[in-house]
Amino acid sequence: MSNSDNHDHDHTAAPMVEEISDFEVLEVAVRELCIEKGIFTQDDHNQWTEYMHTLGPLPAGRLVAKAWLDDDYKQLCIDDPVKASLEVGVDWVNSMPSKFGTPSDYCNPRILVDEPKVKHVVVCTLCSCYPRPILGQSPEWYRTPNYRRRMVRWPRQVLSEFGLQLPEDVEIRVADSNQKTRYVVMPTRPEGTDGWSEDQLAEIVTRDCLIGVAMPRADRKVDDKRHVHKAIHPYGH
Amino acid sequence: MSKPIPLLDKIGEEGRVWNDLREEYGVENPDPPWRVTLESTCEALNEGACVLPSLARRDEEDDLVNELYSHIPHPERQLLALAHSMIIRGIMTEEDLAHHIKVVEKRLNAA
Amino acid sequence: MIKSHHVEKATGVGDPQCFKGEAGAAKFKVGDRVRIRNLPDIFYTRSQMYLREAEAVVVKLVYESPPAEDEAWDNTDSPEWFYSLLFKQTDLWPDYPQKFSGDTLETELSERWLEAV
Repeated sequence: MSNSDNHDHDHTAAPMVEEISDFEVLEVAVRELCIEKGIFTQDDHNQWTEYMHTLGPLPAGRLVAKAWLDDDYKQLCIDDPVKASLEVGVDWVNSMPSKFGTPSDYCNPRILVDEPKVKHVVVCTLCSCYPRPILGQSPEWYRTPNYRRRMVRWPRQVLSEFGLQLPEDVEIRVADSNQKTRYVVMPTRPEGTDGWSEDQLAEIVTRDCLIGVAMPRADRKVDDKRHVHKAIHPYGH
Repeated sequence: MSKPIPLLDKIGEEGRVWNDLREEYGVENPDPPWRVTLESTCEALNEGACVLPSLARRDEEDDLVNELYSHIPHPERQLLALAHSMIIRGIMTEEDLAHHIKVVEKRLNAA
Repeated sequence: MIKSHHVEKATGVGDPQCFKGEAGAAKFKVGDRVRIRNLPDIFYTRSQMYLREAEAVVVKLVYESPPAEDEAWDNTDSPEWFYSLLFKQTDLWPDYPQKFSGDTLETELSERWLEAV
């Protein structure tokens, strides 16, 4: 596969992984065995895959940008998050073929509005529940016991590992999503964004900002890369 | 303490993880193409015959990853933990899986 | 084939919306102080161990739903009110630094887990 030969003709194809890994084979094998054993049907599985492909963090970013620009919409986000979500194209109730939400996500989104002296951050200690319909798939670090067990107990420590340090007089409010509510953080609008359009604002509200481990900045459109840290403090309490 | 499953250990040791593959081939996508289908399998399991409810699966995944698969990156570790859960719960046997892996390998490599 | 014990009821309406009105009068209101009961967990719970016996303030009545402990066994007969509760971190963890005494934790529990203080 020689990209350099095509260089002059500008026909360079996007690179592809040419080999089939043992993991790829394993995933197919597990799935097909489940279907063979009647645990779910190929159709069920396809429906999920189609749905998953539609998900991403963009709608939540847009929701925040709209709220920053419109106080009435911000109030709607507080009073009726399902309706507010519809306005960014997310239907918590009817998106899934079930027409009553997904078994993992339910239909009770809640927008946690940051204030200058109150910073929210979201975790699910029990199993890493996440507002997928509006935020897409959760990042790996969110799912680790390392994050889940430490965020409720040592939030300032964990946040500083994410590069976020907050003064003593700011209340850090950790939301542990242990039941049917799914939380999205609405951070405060950063400096240096006066006169920005909704599109411009949405671009800087990244997934990490919507979980609460980062604060939006006028100069950042992409989340920093995360390494999964080993726990400094032991598990258990 | 969870007992290792030789079939899965072998895959863990010899299988090429996505991080390495994408580096070698210069691919940008941070996730392998099968990541989404794996997630779908987890969801479908949750809804289906209730053989592996979500909270139980997640707890088991945490334990298995911690005890056996901590040196393996994500999402490969999630996949191994899932296969492991299914075997210890009797949803499939190690032999079933080994056999079907060969079938799939043959099919995918012939294409 | 989506398994559910409440398909007809929830379709087009949503879960937990479909249980609205079924829990009766709420025992607690916003602003009430409560203590988390240390009920025995039979097999399944979504009430974290670290909350047991701690005190909190009710900040929101969030929805009515069968408690997770019942729902896990397909029992949706007795929905309860669910409350969002605010805890002080210094009440939850003995070694939480006093200088951050403003820090809090918010989480939800169903009515059976709460007793008045």
